[in-house]
Amino acid sequence: MTHLEAENLASDYLEGELEQAQRADFEAHLGICSECRGLVAGVRRAIELCRAAEELVPAPWLASKILLATVGQRKPTLREQLASLLRPAFQPRIAYVVGMAVFSFSIFINTAGLNLRNLSLQDLDPRAWVYKANRTGHLLYARAEKFCYDLRVVYELESRFRKFRAQPEKQQEEAPSNEAPPGRSTDRKHPGAFQLASNSTSSKPLPRVADVAHPVSLKGSSIR
Amino acid sequence: MEQDQELVRRCLDGENPAWEGLVCAHSRKVYNLCYRFTGRIQDAEDLTQEVFIKVFQTLRSYDSAQGTFSTWLNRVARNHLVDHYRRTRKDRVTSSLDDDSTPLPELPSTRAAPTASVESRERRELLQAALDQMSPDLREAVVLRDLQDLDYQEIAQVLGVPQGTVKSRINRGRLELARVIKRMEGMRGRAIDL
Repeated sequence: MTHLEAENLASDYLEGELEQAQRADFEAHLGICSECRGLVAGVRRAIELCRAAEELVPAPWLASKILLATVGQRKPTLREQLASLLRPAFQPRIAYVVGMAVFSFSIFINTAGLNLRNLSLQDLDPRAWVYKANRTGHLLYARAEKFCYDLRVVYELESRFRKFRAQPEKQQEEAPSNEAPPGRSTDRKHPGAFQLASNSTSSKPLPRVADVAHPVSLKGSSIR
Repeated sequence: MEQDQELVRRCLDGENPAWEGLVCAHSRKVYNLCYRFTGRIQDAEDLTQEVFIKVFQTLRSYDSAQGTFSTWLNRVARNHLVDHYRRTRKDRVTSSLDDDSTPLPELPSTRAAPTASVESRERRELLQAALDQMSPDLREAVVLRDLQDLDYQEIAQVLGVPQGTVKSRINRGRLELARVIKRMEGMRGRAIDL
């Protein structure tokens, strides 16, 4: 292989496009020719330099400049106009305000007892809204009050039953201590015994839960 | 590629957003091609704009059966660059007598370390200076192949010559580029690391 032949095949050799026999010839020539070795190394370096070159980024206004020079000032489409109008609504603070407004509106609708699917002229009267809102508010308040009252009654009943249930056990435990200890006066009763006695004097048949709760529930039943 | 065809079709139907899509998708490649031919940012911007104006005016002449839009665009750009080269040859000779060492303008900064940035700039300047010294025929072949990453067939379509000629030009171009780089590094007194 001559220098000229090797020179002509330098790119094909570096891109791996030589056939096996041709490649062997080429490499054999490189083995004995330092000039061609230097040449191939130089070409390889030039290719690497080109491939390593960074792609330049044009100025951001270049595309706008081209568009202006070709299609002129572009008229935004309806979709883009809508998007630009709605864009501020997606900011967090605006979204929060809109969310709160919707929430308040839904509360108002519920309180006023409006059915949005079946709106009548009467529903649009603000006096009807106030009347319904007032009624709903009072009903809510009365239900809450009744609920609290019921809770109090149940709690009181529970505590009384607990007390009654504990009484016989206490009586049994404290029965032996009723005998006076030697060397002491028997006039004074044990505080526990006194309580038992006092309880026993007022011991009546235990009232039923229904009997106790009945008047209370009757009181609140008118609200339901 | 199919996306380009679709954008071209919509452009021809008068949809401006489609044209915008084409400009955004291809302006970078055209800009780089122009920069490699001229070596000046300002010229590259002006030429890119001129190329797209030409494309806009002649878009109806694009035939998808003859190749991709990208290849057609490269051909239009290359022809425009050759015209520009011929048009400004006289001016260039005159200006080169006045000022032979026009510094390259500052390119967009990178986030690399300062040393790496300096080396990168040196490489870029060396490559551009070497390309500027090559003959236009060989330079365009090397730019299209090694910088724009086109294959032989595409380059043949862009240049309008057979593939054999393309291969030959690329090989001769690389040999010339290697010689120029070697000479320039000899003048600098050191080789630049890749």
